[in-house]
Amino acid sequence: MIQAQQLTKTYGSKTVVDQVSFTVQPGQVTGFLGPNGAGKSTTMRMIVGLAAPTQGQVLVNNRDFKKSKHPITEVGTLLEAKSVHKSLTPSSHLRSIAATAGLPSSRVSEVLELTGLTGVRRKKIGGFSLGMGQRLGIATALLGDPQVLILDEPVNGLDPEGVAWVRNLARQQAAAGKTVFISSHLMSEMAQTADHLIVIGRGRIMADAPISEFIDNGLAQTIVKSSDIEVLMNALSSQGVQLRRIDAQTLEVTGPDSEVIGRRALETGVALSELRPLQRTLEDAYMELTRDAVEYHSNIVAENNGGK
Amino acid sequence: MTTQIQTPLRGKVTLAGVLRSEAIRMFSLKSTGILIALSIVLYVGIAVIATWAIGSLLQDMSDPSQMEGMGTMSQPGFASETLGSGLVFNQLILGVLGVLLFSGEFTTGSAVSTFLASPQRLRVMTAKIIFTVVLTGLTQLVSTLLAFIIAKPVAENYNLTLEFSSSSFQSVLWYGTLAVIMAALIGLALGVLLRSSAGGITVLAAVFFVLPIITAIFGSYVDWLPNVSAFLPDQLGLSLATPLSAPSDLELWQQLLGVAGWIIVPLALGAVLLAKRDIK
Repeated sequence: MIQAQQLTKTYGSKTVVDQVSFTVQPGQVTGFLGPNGAGKSTTMRMIVGLAAPTQGQVLVNNRDFKKSKHPITEVGTLLEAKSVHKSLTPSSHLRSIAATAGLPSSRVSEVLELTGLTGVRRKKIGGFSLGMGQRLGIATALLGDPQVLILDEPVNGLDPEGVAWVRNLARQQAAAGKTVFISSHLMSEMAQTADHLIVIGRGRIMADAPISEFIDNGLAQTIVKSSDIEVLMNALSSQGVQLRRIDAQTLEVTGPDSEVIGRRALETGVALSELRPLQRTLEDAYMELTRDAVEYHSNIVAENNGGK
Repeated sequence: MTTQIQTPLRGKVTLAGVLRSEAIRMFSLKSTGILIALSIVLYVGIAVIATWAIGSLLQDMSDPSQMEGMGTMSQPGFASETLGSGLVFNQLILGVLGVLLFSGEFTTGSAVSTFLASPQRLRVMTAKIIFTVVLTGLTQLVSTLLAFIIAKPVAENYNLTLEFSSSSFQSVLWYGTLAVIMAALIGLALGVLLRSSAGGITVLAAVFFVLPIITAIFGSYVDWLPNVSAFLPDQLGLSLATPLSAPSDLELWQQLLGVAGWIIVPLALGAVLLAKRDIK
């Protein structure tokens, strides 16, 4: 479990993380979502004691991580890829960390195998691709078989197979009762991995809820097509239902879901040629939330807002 | 929820563990081996060539003690002191090793891994200090002993006395090692203070090569500057290891105090900043 209370970090006059409070629960995958520069990495660095909070505090399993006697068996962390001496090999890097933590070197072979790096364990890290560096970072995070996993943008630079592998890994670790905290700037990625989402923008928490809430908190929208569209409009019109005529045969219905509309059509004897629920995607919800909190705007993104 | 059958890993971070970690890392890096080999070869080479040069010089002169300025050379301990001719070079080379030992963490980003594995930062620094003392101390002892073994037949060829148990050789051996350890620890402190290899090496070279020149130039105009120059780390090392060729007005305890100051002050500053600053 990770508990942040009023966590704040300022660099000079710039507040990067602004009174952030949240709890990351064990047994589920918690996504930490936000645009670039929103304060995700800084928050993660404060959790593991690499950056000191300007104000507030953060506890990992009810303790200050900096005082941990078993740091890497408590928290496994992936921050930037390649936070490793380039002239080392995966083997020497991991053996050195295992030595610090007093772990047997057999564990090194295990995580090398687990992350598919056994074949390159004696190759210089300097020559690694972004994806291989990322695998090594994940291997380092897993070395102590930790209770808490903190992964900053873990799928960056991974191929589709690697992305799926990280997703499975996160789900497995959560299923085993561990705390899994994963940051990303991509909602689509989080939608497939996370159970719970914490959304951050400009250093502030914008949302903190189970992922289902992000999709469900809007009203259902449905596209209906029929040659008898006006009959259907009469049948549907009641309080709380919004109807919008798109063309001669097409109607957008806001309020009742597709099942209600279908039944009403059957009752009135109107044949439907299309009945299509419009899903409000997580991406739409995320865009809406962070629209004003994006640090680095591009015009194209702003205009495509809410698009498919 | 799946239950884990394997016994959970329960490693504990200890100073010995961090030391082992440092050793694994440093001996996996080529730069460590290169710098150590370079320091040994250079030190032994300079010692042997200097012995040969002085031997042949003395042989060419009938009675050097009669000649002005040659008195020191004819003293019995001088041949031993000749073995320490490369001392400042070793201070610099192993000082660079000290810089790299810490600056490398920050220039490569490996500081993140290091301080995640041992969030108690001062424990990492303690391990690095111990590692530096042992590694550079052993290197200097080996260099001096090798220089003795190889230079001895050369010295005997010119009827120079080179006694292992003489106080002159013992000074070169032990005070020389102390001087090198001091330089390496200054380097280590510069590495953590500046977090940059290039910056650390530049400042180190300035302390050992530029500061002595500046104090020498202005020493004749400013009264107190010669006193300062006696406390510079290269002078402290030379006057302790080779007192005949680099005499000092300081008492032994003053010299040792100077060495202690050069070791403790930069490291203490480094420790304070390491504990306080964020790791990038």
